[in-house]
Amino acid sequence: MARSGKGNHVQYVWIPVIAALLAVPLGFMYVSWNKAGEGAGLYSRQWQPDAVFSYWNPGEFYRSVDTVQGVFSGEQCVQCHAAVTPGIVKDWRLSRHSTAAPGKKPVYCLSCHGDDHQDLHMPTPDVCAGCHAIQHSQFVDEKRYGFPSHALAMERAVDARHFVDKPKPEVTSCLQCHSVATKCDSCHTRHRFSAAEARRSEACITCHSGPPHPDDETFFASAHGKIYRQEGENWDWSKPLRKGNYKSPTCAYCHMAEGKHQVADKSIWKFGILEINPDTSANEVRRRAWIKVCSDCHEAGWSRDRLEELDTERKRAWRKLYEAEDLIKDLRSEELLYPAAGERPLYPVDVIEKLWPRERIGFYEGQASAFYNVSPIERDYFDMWYFDNLGAYKGAAHGAPNFVTAQHQKMDQALKSIKQQAKALRTAGEQERLYKERVDPSALWKQGEYTEYNKEHN
Amino acid sequence: MVTRLLLWCAMTLYVNASIQAGEGPEPATSGKLSNASCIDCHSKTDPSVVSDWEASAHSDSTAGKVGPRANCVDCHGNVHAGVAELARKDSRCITCHGGSDAPVNRSYFTSKHGIIFWLEKNDWDWSQPLSQANYRSPGCSYCHMHQGKHNVGKAIITQASITEDKTRVIESMQPVCQDCHSPRYISRLSENGERMLEIGRMKWREATNVIDRVRTEIPEADFQVIEQLSVTMKTHLTNLRLGIAHQSPDYQWWHGQPALDGDLLRIKGEVSRLRRERLIRAGE
Repeated sequence: MARSGKGNHVQYVWIPVIAALLAVPLGFMYVSWNKAGEGAGLYSRQWQPDAVFSYWNPGEFYRSVDTVQGVFSGEQCVQCHAAVTPGIVKDWRLSRHSTAAPGKKPVYCLSCHGDDHQDLHMPTPDVCAGCHAIQHSQFVDEKRYGFPSHALAMERAVDARHFVDKPKPEVTSCLQCHSVATKCDSCHTRHRFSAAEARRSEACITCHSGPPHPDDETFFASAHGKIYRQEGENWDWSKPLRKGNYKSPTCAYCHMAEGKHQVADKSIWKFGILEINPDTSANEVRRRAWIKVCSDCHEAGWSRDRLEELDTERKRAWRKLYEAEDLIKDLRSEELLYPAAGERPLYPVDVIEKLWPRERIGFYEGQASAFYNVSPIERDYFDMWYFDNLGAYKGAAHGAPNFVTAQHQKMDQALKSIKQQAKALRTAGEQERLYKERVDPSALWKQGEYTEYNKEHN
Repeated sequence: MVTRLLLWCAMTLYVNASIQAGEGPEPATSGKLSNASCIDCHSKTDPSVVSDWEASAHSDSTAGKVGPRANCVDCHGNVHAGVAELARKDSRCITCHGGSDAPVNRSYFTSKHGIIFWLEKNDWDWSQPLSQANYRSPGCSYCHMHQGKHNVGKAIITQASITEDKTRVIESMQPVCQDCHSPRYISRLSENGERMLEIGRMKWREATNVIDRVRTEIPEADFQVIEQLSVTMKTHLTNLRLGIAHQSPDYQWWHGQPALDGDLLRIKGEVSRLRRERLIRAGE
């Protein structure tokens, strides 16, 4: 009996083994099935692209026009387009593409767009890689450093839950910036494609501006930025981003030292969006890389001190953020948020939420996507975390102390207001419990033109 | 053969001479110019420039300023040498239009057009006409005064009301943008922009609808926060429109859509808070 029993147990062992062996390929199959929809990314079956996406993510969405027939030579393209769209031809003529080195041919339109006018394509980074292999391989290599990243930017955008949920014309601007992953002209504008232009700090600020990443304001407010704004006009921008070539650093000088296209390889504090341990071995490598860049001008010990000041500022910011976050999480567990998750519109993409409505609070619960259809106190925390805190981080990292002070004052005010609101919510909730009657806000929150449009359109 | 060559030379000289003569008589360049003296002369030499200006908002009167909002001298200066070059530059426009930090200007200067303009403006030949992509990137005047037309605000429609008007701007933009961009690119971006703005307007209408419905229900004294949020919301809707018009992702998004989401939920939040408070008080 004992022997046969043991035999049976051995047989059962195979069940989880086989299940695990099946689960892995099935999981991969499910993900790749999900990625094969009309849209792009993990949720591609849940949304349809807007027509304009063809220009922001050409690899996925661009389809050629069929209005002009024929296969054309480079000279023919230029001849016709000099009349049709003179701007791009003038630009190209000023570029290195048109002025070939001795013994070499110019890079004509067809090298990047193809020569068949009914089968044109918009160049992706892979097309540029045909000639610019080193820069492209560095650009792709940035992926291994994880978030934040230029090379991963498009994936991050289309896999964000609010991107999937919201009507696509509303979130088009997301793709405009996140297209830094899918085409090279975000920094080297067409059809000049100039390295000198991309070395200037202004080249970055179309995307690196605004409340969550005031890189422009903080850099221009710093001593580095002030020197750049005053004198930069007269510097020789054809020089590589190397020690001794520039009096003051620009965005690219530090973030792309020596011209390396792994832009975010030294990222320690991850955009300021979550608290990290700045002293892990991986971060120690990054700290040394930072100090090496700073040491082009500054003493190494002095540079290390500045980095430590950044860590101190971050810890100070996170103490404030956790205090606010804990308060709101307490309100959630005591069912005091108003309106609560079930009383306001659900995010269409979130299947689990339909069964168990739950407020998303903090980075790990995905609050970065929960900035609409939430109660005011949650949104206030979002603003404190995403605008006040991230702005403080940029100020501290770029050397703009006044900006840091101003942002911390905003955080203090936000925290104070959150505490007051929490107190009021608690009082109101307790009174309702006393009378055993909840004043239901859901009719107001679940109705309305945009709210209802968003339910049907994403 | 020789006769033919001589004839060709004579014709070339004649044509060149008439082109030069076509520039008109030497203008009254000495002394400081006044608006009246500009109009006096230019209504004879370039009548369309004067009539276009008269049709523009620049010729209207405005509070706190004697005479038109922007007369010839305001933009061109009062010295005849280099008048066109001076007025083509953005710095001339933004002096009156809110300064460089105003949303109307920041939405342009954070766009790719604005960046290229900022970096290269000092290297450009500003004596070139505002057409044929003579400038690598368009400044204010390139689009709003394309081909030197002085009907500012009319060639490219800028007066569309942010909350209601559905005037299509695409037809007015096509002739300007096509100096550099393909017709399909222009129409796709413009149509997407119209859809994007309409979504912003939906949020505005949703909020306005809530406010209208509760206006009788909530006492005037409690309405201040809601009124303030409504004002802020209109600013954010303007930001969105400027972001679309000037192609600034920052204004389309961070100063636009999510900001509008915040306004909408705060208006709803304030209304539901007041209602709840009132019902609790009634329950006591």
